[in-house]
Amino acid sequence: MQDLQLPQHFIQLSLRTLKNIRKGNLFHPYTATQPASPTAQMLEEPKRLFTEPNKPTLRLIPLKPIKDDTPIIAVDVSSMKIGETDIGILCAIRAAIVWKQRRQYRYVRLGPFPFHITEENKNEVYHLFRQYSFFEQPTLDYNSTLSLFYAPTRLGALFERWLQMGISVQTRNGLILWDGSLTAGTQDAPVSVMSQLLETARNRSNVVLAFTKTTRLRLFGYRLTDHIGKCTPPCLVEINGYPIALSNAMRLLGNIYVAKLSEGNCSFRLDIDRKLPQEKAVEATQRLVGNDILLQSYPETLRLAHIYSTFTANEVIGIQRFLVQTHKLKIVTRPNVRRLLFGPFGKGPES
Amino acid sequence: MRLYRKEGNTVQVLCFPNESVEKGDYLQVEDPKQNKALLIQVINVQFANVPGILEELLRDSTNNGDVINGENLDPLDVASQITLIQDARLLICKIRGTIQNGKLSVNSAWLPSRSQSNIKRLSTTTLAKMLKINDKLPIYIGDTKEFSPFKVDAKALDGSLNIVTGKKETGKSHFSKLLVLSLIEHGAPVVVLDLNGEYVHLGYASNGNKNQHYSKIHVLTPASNFKVTLPQIGLRVMLNILVHALNLPGTSAREFRRTWRLLKKQGKLNLHELGEAIRNLQCNHHVKDALFSRYYALVNSGFFTDNPSEAMTLEDCFRKIQTGGVLAVNLRDTSFVDRQIVVEYLLGKLVEMLTGWKLKAVFLFAEEAHLYLRETYWNDIVTRMRHFGVFTTFVTNQPDTIRENIYRQVDNIFLFNFTSEHDLETVSRAAKVDSETVKSLARDLPPQYCLLLGRVVKDFPIVVKVRALDVQTMGQTRLFFN
Repeated sequence: MQDLQLPQHFIQLSLRTLKNIRKGNLFHPYTATQPASPTAQMLEEPKRLFTEPNKPTLRLIPLKPIKDDTPIIAVDVSSMKIGETDIGILCAIRAAIVWKQRRQYRYVRLGPFPFHITEENKNEVYHLFRQYSFFEQPTLDYNSTLSLFYAPTRLGALFERWLQMGISVQTRNGLILWDGSLTAGTQDAPVSVMSQLLETARNRSNVVLAFTKTTRLRLFGYRLTDHIGKCTPPCLVEINGYPIALSNAMRLLGNIYVAKLSEGNCSFRLDIDRKLPQEKAVEATQRLVGNDILLQSYPETLRLAHIYSTFTANEVIGIQRFLVQTHKLKIVTRPNVRRLLFGPFGKGPES
Repeated sequence: MRLYRKEGNTVQVLCFPNESVEKGDYLQVEDPKQNKALLIQVINVQFANVPGILEELLRDSTNNGDVINGENLDPLDVASQITLIQDARLLICKIRGTIQNGKLSVNSAWLPSRSQSNIKRLSTTTLAKMLKINDKLPIYIGDTKEFSPFKVDAKALDGSLNIVTGKKETGKSHFSKLLVLSLIEHGAPVVVLDLNGEYVHLGYASNGNKNQHYSKIHVLTPASNFKVTLPQIGLRVMLNILVHALNLPGTSAREFRRTWRLLKKQGKLNLHELGEAIRNLQCNHHVKDALFSRYYALVNSGFFTDNPSEAMTLEDCFRKIQTGGVLAVNLRDTSFVDRQIVVEYLLGKLVEMLTGWKLKAVFLFAEEAHLYLRETYWNDIVTRMRHFGVFTTFVTNQPDTIRENIYRQVDNIFLFNFTSEHDLETVSRAAKVDSETVKSLARDLPPQYCLLLGRVVKDFPIVVKVRALDVQTMGQTRLFFN
């Protein structure tokens, strides 16, 4: 895993976007407490899946942990808006890959990579990024779809796909943990790319397990994860009888389970590659339970990947300082309109 | 460095790790628009309260007892800036004055600009030049943090009450010896009440050879080369010894006075005749017993003699050191009572000579004075005797043995490391700077580093590494496992 090549194109892209910062450009840094970009999951997950005519069914699958030193690899990517310039936004992206082998956790952190996205370069950046990531031309007209607001999330999602592909290629007989679902057909998760990712993993005897931290899906009026409430862990609840195609474009490439893998109050939506036989999917989950630490049903490897990729407030300040130092930006503080208008009642983020 | 906050006379300065600043350093906050600079001193260095630092430390720490090994691929080296912020420091500083047109004043009634000010270090040497603290009679105390020699003016010790204090083995005695030798180099007479016999070899270099001070060091050892006859001592001093050192009650003291005067009148004032006179006294037997017990205490001290050739004339000794020299009274093998007797005699004689202008002034160094100085003498030394020309330096590792009313009159404090809150509290009350400065700086002083406070540094606290001396200091503790 350490041999994973650094995405040169990604670095070049980062530098290329930073080049359009002019000396003396105004820079309004965001505070670390300002709201983060929406996550890719938020953008991807359908709100209505289990509709009335489909009548889904549930099946409890108890799990027996298998301890066999199966390699477990997790990847997570964080994106963060760092501030605004007079012509665009500054954001940073960082990825973390964590793996456990022979009872040892190890990690590789990539980044942070700062980007300067403007109205002028946003489509070019996105276009190039997709090209570098998936070696294909974009099929949609992104001029009308990519907004600066979502740009960090989109770039982060693309970077994540790139890393997922790298891991799938380099790993054999492992469990690959993703943060999110196996829903395909969105702008950043095209069906072809996602299918290719899963196929590559399958061909190398890997199993992709995608964990959704908070699902908005509801079944019989209840939140999906509530359906496992009283079951004894470790166990899965298999959900059957829902459509694979959500729309003309969107597809579910995984079987949806609710996973309660250890004691505690939490359970998660777990998507496992649909093209794997069910026994293999269950066995993979049993291997995860047997070989990884589970805290509140969440695998430690994925938890660490999240922790290592997340930006702290201090890091945000550090990146801001880096940009100011390297590009001679002039810091300005825009007045907080809410504060100006409403005084102490002007709460919430600065618009 | 950036000016961050000011509250009262405390200023907070943000400082990055590549800017090397330590406790005790002086900084000048230059405001180019106002064309002046605020002089501040760093009294504490803290980590800046950076948001998210806890998360970072937790992230980089161990996982279930195992260290997580990893690699960071950061081609743009953004992490260097993040590390810089993680290690950012907050300097807690005290305002000391204002520099305008190269001149230093104690004015601190203005505030420099937070956004426009430049902050830079001011070397101790530059500060010393501004303060003109080593102008006339320099005493080379030691070296500054910039490794340049630091000198104070001996005149700042003239007429002053000084305290050298710090915990054990931090260099107090060494420093007081340095002061003693420096003073005699400038021609000052010095008397040392040497509790542990540490000063007796000041005339020898560390290799055992005589040094340049040899002829100026005079050691007086009570009951050996320091003995006196009764006529030398005089009634007043003797009564002081009896009443204060030997606790003779008032009635008995009256009887003693009468006996003394009678013997003097008969020309029989000596130890033998005094004993006989007490034996033949026709008085209350309690009084007689009291006088006898004190008499034997005087005899057993060995300090008194009836043989004039054995007796030493203190006037002659003082004459030897009048143009620079040390009279070291070795109290090492002297009992508590005998020490008090010797000191009573010495101080009484000293005052007598000073009042009679037989001596101009004398610098008195008293090590652990609470072990031989009676209560009433404390005030006497720092008030009355000071006016006669006894300029005392107390050397102690127990600052609470010196009374607060004495501290109030202190001109200079030479402070070494203290860790005890109680001791720091005691000293900080006496210093002419705020207690926060004293406590914070003294707590972290390494051995041999001294915080100078008071007249010698014109009330600008300065930390100095005390220089070495090539003398046999004899201040080291005897060890068993050696």
